[in-house]
Amino acid sequence: MATHAPPGTSSAARDVSPYPTDYKTWKILAWTGPVFLFAVFVLWGVVARNMPPFPPSATPDEVKAHFHELRLPLLIALSICLTMTAFYMSFSVAVARVMERIEGPGGVLSKLEMMGGTITCAPVMVTMAIWLTAAHEVNNLSPEIMHMLYWFGWLMFDLAYFVTSFQIAAISIVCMRDKREKKLVPDAVSWWGWVTFASFFAVSAIPFVTTGPLAFNGVISFWIAFFTWFIWIPSLSFFIIKAIPRLQAEDEAAGLVNA
Amino acid sequence: MPVATADRVKPRRLPGVDGVWVAIGADSVIFAILFLTFMQDRLKDPALFEVSRHTLNMNFGGIDTLILLTSSWSVALAIQALKRGLVDRVPRYLLGGALTGVLFMVSKSIEYFQKFADGLTPATNPFYMWYFTLTGIHLLHVVFGSSLLTYVWLKSRRGAYSSLNRVVPECVASYWHLVDLLWIVIFPLLYLMKAA
Amino acid sequence: MSVLRERVTLVWLGLVVLTCVTTWGLSKDLFSPAVAVVGIFLIAALKVRFVMLDFMELRQAPIPVRVAFEAWPVVVSAMILGFWFATGTVA
Repeated sequence: MATHAPPGTSSAARDVSPYPTDYKTWKILAWTGPVFLFAVFVLWGVVARNMPPFPPSATPDEVKAHFHELRLPLLIALSICLTMTAFYMSFSVAVARVMERIEGPGGVLSKLEMMGGTITCAPVMVTMAIWLTAAHEVNNLSPEIMHMLYWFGWLMFDLAYFVTSFQIAAISIVCMRDKREKKLVPDAVSWWGWVTFASFFAVSAIPFVTTGPLAFNGVISFWIAFFTWFIWIPSLSFFIIKAIPRLQAEDEAAGLVNA
Repeated sequence: MPVATADRVKPRRLPGVDGVWVAIGADSVIFAILFLTFMQDRLKDPALFEVSRHTLNMNFGGIDTLILLTSSWSVALAIQALKRGLVDRVPRYLLGGALTGVLFMVSKSIEYFQKFADGLTPATNPFYMWYFTLTGIHLLHVVFGSSLLTYVWLKSRRGAYSSLNRVVPECVASYWHLVDLLWIVIFPLLYLMKAA
Repeated sequence: MSVLRERVTLVWLGLVVLTCVTTWGLSKDLFSPAVAVVGIFLIAALKVRFVMLDFMELRQAPIPVRVAFEAWPVVVSAMILGFWFATGTVA
């Protein structure tokens, strides 16, 4: 599907959209992807001790003790992480714009990707807020309430996966359809996206188990499901960031100002 | 004058598209990680794992292995036929692959129902959690693979594929062989591995 | 194309025989656990290798891909056997 006008028009540079393409901002937005991953990995993963997570089999007393022991690191890590989750939204916008250049302006899959990526922020932010509240209020709350907040966070964080699945699927489909000889995003990354997509479904088991591979701290629901996604984000980001100057060069070669 | 085949060197290639091998490789590594974790859990309570293992029917497991090997063979024959342009022979081999896939599903279902009837579920103990999880995830692969085989079978009946257009069946076949080789490890791991 | 003379058919027959050996031979109490388990997993690794090379056609694959895939059964069986030997005996 043609995404821009044929080159060599005799008039001055041909406008395609009413707004100029701001390649610089576009690239900055693409960089917020790795920034988001760094924040989540370092703050939520390392500082807040979630790799692996505190076990789902923990008793209410154990959960309260855990939040009490880690109160200050949790307050710092979760509050910053909550705020920085917004970077996943900005990243999703940058990706959507690259996808539009393959799919065509206003394409349905680029819209789905942007929505999927943006909405992903919601369960992440809400979960951070829940655990942040639990840490903040640990001295005022009973062990039962603490246990409930812990589970509330995990159930929300994990089971909302399908919005992210939609985002990943949309990106993989569009990027695989790229007709350029050297695709903007290589097929290997798109196929890894499908591996990530498939790995998420197992997470639906978390309400039913507290030990073993399918528990929210288990090898399948945590290590595999999270790390396939953790690998996908930087891999995709790398090629999205590189795609923008490529697209700028294509626009300039075609004599277009706005694309 | 025809070139002697010995002189003609065929370039190395992967069947299907390169991308599908990323997925096959990833799936293989993921299962290897699962096998590792299983062995770690077994280390903690080998007696429990051994007692539980005895409730598994190794005849069922062995027959399941033979079913999948035969299925892979049938699919491999389909690809060989396709490569040689024997387009009319392809559908029957793909159908053979799909039907044996369904046979595996039936066998597994019977096995699962027997376990449930005996009161054994994933919640019974860590061994059974692993048994149902490993065989269950594998079964999902079998269902998906059999669906793909059915799809390419239907298309092959309409002559959609040829020796020059065989990328899709090759991708499906490669995935199916993965499903076969995973079971080759899962079966002894769960059913045959007796304790020291 | 004579099915009976195809390489994949010969491989299939070999795999069937090996399956019977492990399922209905090595698993019996005639063999000590160590012999049985080592034998079973070495055979499993061999079976995986044949599926990879002859069914998946990795014999004709680019060398780095072939090496990576052939490493899988080696690593997996070594890891499983390593753990098995590290696991205590059962009364």
